[in-house]
Amino acid sequence: MAEKLQFQSEATARAHEGEDEGLPSLLPRFGEEKFPWIQVWGYIGSLVLTFAALILVIDHVLPPVALLSVILTLAVGQAALQIGVFMHVRESRGLAWQMVFLGLVLLMAAGMVGMSIWIMLFKSGVS
Amino acid sequence: MPSFVLYLIHTLFPHDVRRPTELGADFLIIMSGVIIVYYLTKQKKWRYLWDEWLTTVDHKKIGIMYLIAAIAMLFRGGVDALMLRTNLALPTTPVISASEYNEVFTTHGTIMIFFMAMPLIFALWNVAVPLMIGARDVAFPRLNAMSFWLFAFGALLLNISFVIGGSPNAGWTAYPPYTGVAFNPGPGENYFFLSLLIAGMGTTMTGINFLVTTLRMRAPGMTLMKMPMFVWTTLTTAALILFAFPPLTVALAMSLFDRLFGSSFFTLTHGGMPMMYVNLFWLFGHPEVYIVVLPAFGVFSEVVATYSRKALFGYSAMVLSVLAIMFLSYGTWVHHFFTMGAGPAVNAFFGLSTMLIAIPTGVKIFNWIFTMWGGRIQLTTAMLYQIAFIPTFVIGGATGILLATVPADYQLHNTYFLVAHFHNVLIGGVLFGLLSGTYYWWPKMFGHKLDERQGKWAFWLYFIGFWVTFGPQYLLGLEGMTRRMYTYPLGFGWHELNVISTVGAFIMGAGFVVMVYNVLYSLKYGERDLTGDPWDGRTLEWALPSPAPEYNFARIPVVTARDAWWDMKQKGQTLANSLSSHDISTLEMPKNTPVPFLLGLSFFVVGFGMTFEWWIIVAIGAIGVVASLLYSAFDYDEHKHINADVIRRTESALGRLQG
Amino acid sequence: MSVPVAKEEMEQHLPLEFADEKESIKITGFWMFLVTDVMIFGSLFSSYAVYRTSVAQGPSAYQLFSFGPVILETVLLLTSSFTIGLSIYSMRRQNKQATIAWLIVTLLLGAGFVISEVHDFVGYVAAGATWHQSAFLSAFFILVGTHGAHVTFGILWATTLLIQLIRRGFTPVTTRKLFTFSLYWHFLDIVWIFIFTFVYLNGKIV
Repeated sequence: MAEKLQFQSEATARAHEGEDEGLPSLLPRFGEEKFPWIQVWGYIGSLVLTFAALILVIDHVLPPVALLSVILTLAVGQAALQIGVFMHVRESRGLAWQMVFLGLVLLMAAGMVGMSIWIMLFKSGVS
Repeated sequence: MPSFVLYLIHTLFPHDVRRPTELGADFLIIMSGVIIVYYLTKQKKWRYLWDEWLTTVDHKKIGIMYLIAAIAMLFRGGVDALMLRTNLALPTTPVISASEYNEVFTTHGTIMIFFMAMPLIFALWNVAVPLMIGARDVAFPRLNAMSFWLFAFGALLLNISFVIGGSPNAGWTAYPPYTGVAFNPGPGENYFFLSLLIAGMGTTMTGINFLVTTLRMRAPGMTLMKMPMFVWTTLTTAALILFAFPPLTVALAMSLFDRLFGSSFFTLTHGGMPMMYVNLFWLFGHPEVYIVVLPAFGVFSEVVATYSRKALFGYSAMVLSVLAIMFLSYGTWVHHFFTMGAGPAVNAFFGLSTMLIAIPTGVKIFNWIFTMWGGRIQLTTAMLYQIAFIPTFVIGGATGILLATVPADYQLHNTYFLVAHFHNVLIGGVLFGLLSGTYYWWPKMFGHKLDERQGKWAFWLYFIGFWVTFGPQYLLGLEGMTRRMYTYPLGFGWHELNVISTVGAFIMGAGFVVMVYNVLYSLKYGERDLTGDPWDGRTLEWALPSPAPEYNFARIPVVTARDAWWDMKQKGQTLANSLSSHDISTLEMPKNTPVPFLLGLSFFVVGFGMTFEWWIIVAIGAIGVVASLLYSAFDYDEHKHINADVIRRTESALGRLQG
Repeated sequence: MSVPVAKEEMEQHLPLEFADEKESIKITGFWMFLVTDVMIFGSLFSSYAVYRTSVAQGPSAYQLFSFGPVILETVLLLTSSFTIGLSIYSMRRQNKQATIAWLIVTLLLGAGFVISEVHDFVGYVAAGATWHQSAFLSAFFILVGTHGAHVTFGILWATTLLIQLIRRGFTPVTTRKLFTFSLYWHFLDIVWIFIFTFVYLNGKIV
């Protein structure tokens, strides 16, 4: 058992000493609360955002392009809400590396969709 | 019953694959299978094979299995290349027919990229990365084994296509609509899509695994900026795999659905757009060329520092340029289809972004040269590949810039100029890099060096053969010869250049033969590596005995400098000097498991069934997949313990224990 | 709380799923898997974006979609995202019964979502809107179908977790598994929000 414990403490040492200085924004944070208020507010917020988008489309008060931009912005806001409220994105042991790669992949996925639309318009006079 | 047998024969061996060459290949495969089974039974090796290799989760053994698979696939792809070149040297009397030629160039490309370059990279990652960062294994050892078996069974699925049912024949890029059922009936393309889907899953898992390994498993003190350069390229390549392989998966799945389930993604009717496949494919395809070349850059960064006996020049600039390449490579994919007609704005954007990549690559080239500058250079085989790589890759990169110039690309697109360019970067960059790494880390894998004299012979044959093959192809491209033609009329002035090119290909083939002889000879006569540090290396893997014990490090080292092992040697604090008996404690290690092998096998059964649309076979394979996953979900017995006494005995037998 | 806490002290306050080094690494690994899944859905969204007007002879988005079932599915999935959040909250407070109860509620909501979606799909196919009809329908079915397949897989996965939780209680392994499942489930919720916005709502914009 003592030897097992020694292994554990070695692993702990690795978790700490392998950390990089100079990346303070990736330091993990853990939240704690007495009642799940964050979850409740997150739920209400997500419903509000969803129905706001829905009402905008049903009433159709904006021109199409503006309308699409607004509801996409609402969707992005809702995604941020889900990631921030529910997904514990800042929690980790060691640095919270997922934040780097999550940010990167959202950028790339958005770029991929936008670029693909642009490319596949075939705006060429010489094809 | 006989009608069932006849149906089987007709489906598995349709008329057009019952040619003498295929039947000969069938016969050879069956005979070699029988010989292997006989040998294993006679030597009573089945148990050993199962316990030590098929169920292993040890990254060093998985690396060796990747290496063996990659060399076998290099042989297969190389033979394909020789068949293609033979045909082009004899335009009036083609050796293989047009349809066979299509199959051969398809399998040549597919195998070389997916089943030779990728596994060779994973071999080096598995062998070197955990040792370099001072870890006992990768982050997810079982996932690592699953990745390997998915890759291996994917490769098997593609390779049996040649003898069972017919090979894919639409090129390694498999553009629709030619891959649609209307134009391409038969199982060939199904084989292609399914084998790449299965192997691609494995590759994605490997990407996740090594990304987390480099992020979370480093030894204490090894901060990001103290990581060896090879580990940096592993990190960025793994990240690129994460971003690049999903679009490929989607593109392949859509093509497969078009073929099997009647969807209309890439069809010519019902609003389908074949060019959308091309878009998705190159969203993967361009990052893919950096996925294969970045690890080679990493190998060169290690090799050049070790054999120049100097620290790598401009480490921070190297890190920045690797990161820049990673970002930029994701934004250049349209340069593979400028001629589609996406318009001047799109083409200008992607032409420019392509040219930008030359900047970080140039930074790296200069840094390698400056590392050599003033160093005490040892011209080992690995170093020769490094030195040959620099001019070769510069020329390959420069022709890439020519191709990125949109108006020029309209002329050069799909000519032999393109073929010469990408072989220039893939052989001169990737293959040279990976072979260099293989020679460099061979002692760490097997405990002996590869014979240097033979290695240099192989190197010169590869290097000279390479230029004799691909130099003339640039000229052929400028003279208008397009790729993928199985013959051509005489009188265009193409014949002489093609003959030279074919001679070069056979010189490279001779290089391969020498290399294999080198491996076999060195197994028996190669210089044994007793110190564990045959090259006077700089990074942590050389602190260990060759080959490293199962648990790698009896005690995890503490890193204080960039070239950690070199620094320890300078300070006289080598691990061997400071390891005493009570530093050693019982270790928890991952336990062998048959699940990865069985999962790979189940996916193979699914793939094979889908290829022929035999849904009962698919169901059987799917049950196997689900059973494997359920078994591992409820399996809590993942670890075993290696007793401290066992470790003490091992270490003292290696002469690494004091007192 | 950006005050640097002593590392040993932080160690003691870590939730159970992060307490074991090896298990906590698996959480990082799962995040990286989600990264690849973002790219999978990104590719599917790209295809849908390109194909959304390629309706050929088939129905257009405007003709095909109706809001009723989609709103139901959205509310079910948003609520299930809330309940799995409560399940993790209870897990952190070592309340096994509440954790299991909220997990079961999540599963039922997820099952309701899948049933409603399958009902939708059957209706479309019965009306002749198969994915053979047009590239638009192919892209629609593969995007929404992949999401539905993810939800279905999630339900099966969580069922195995339920068994493990009941049999073993809270251990570093079971809590880690439930935590990764919650990440997966919230992620699917986010994907659905984009499907709801970009496919269904956008389809109704003339």
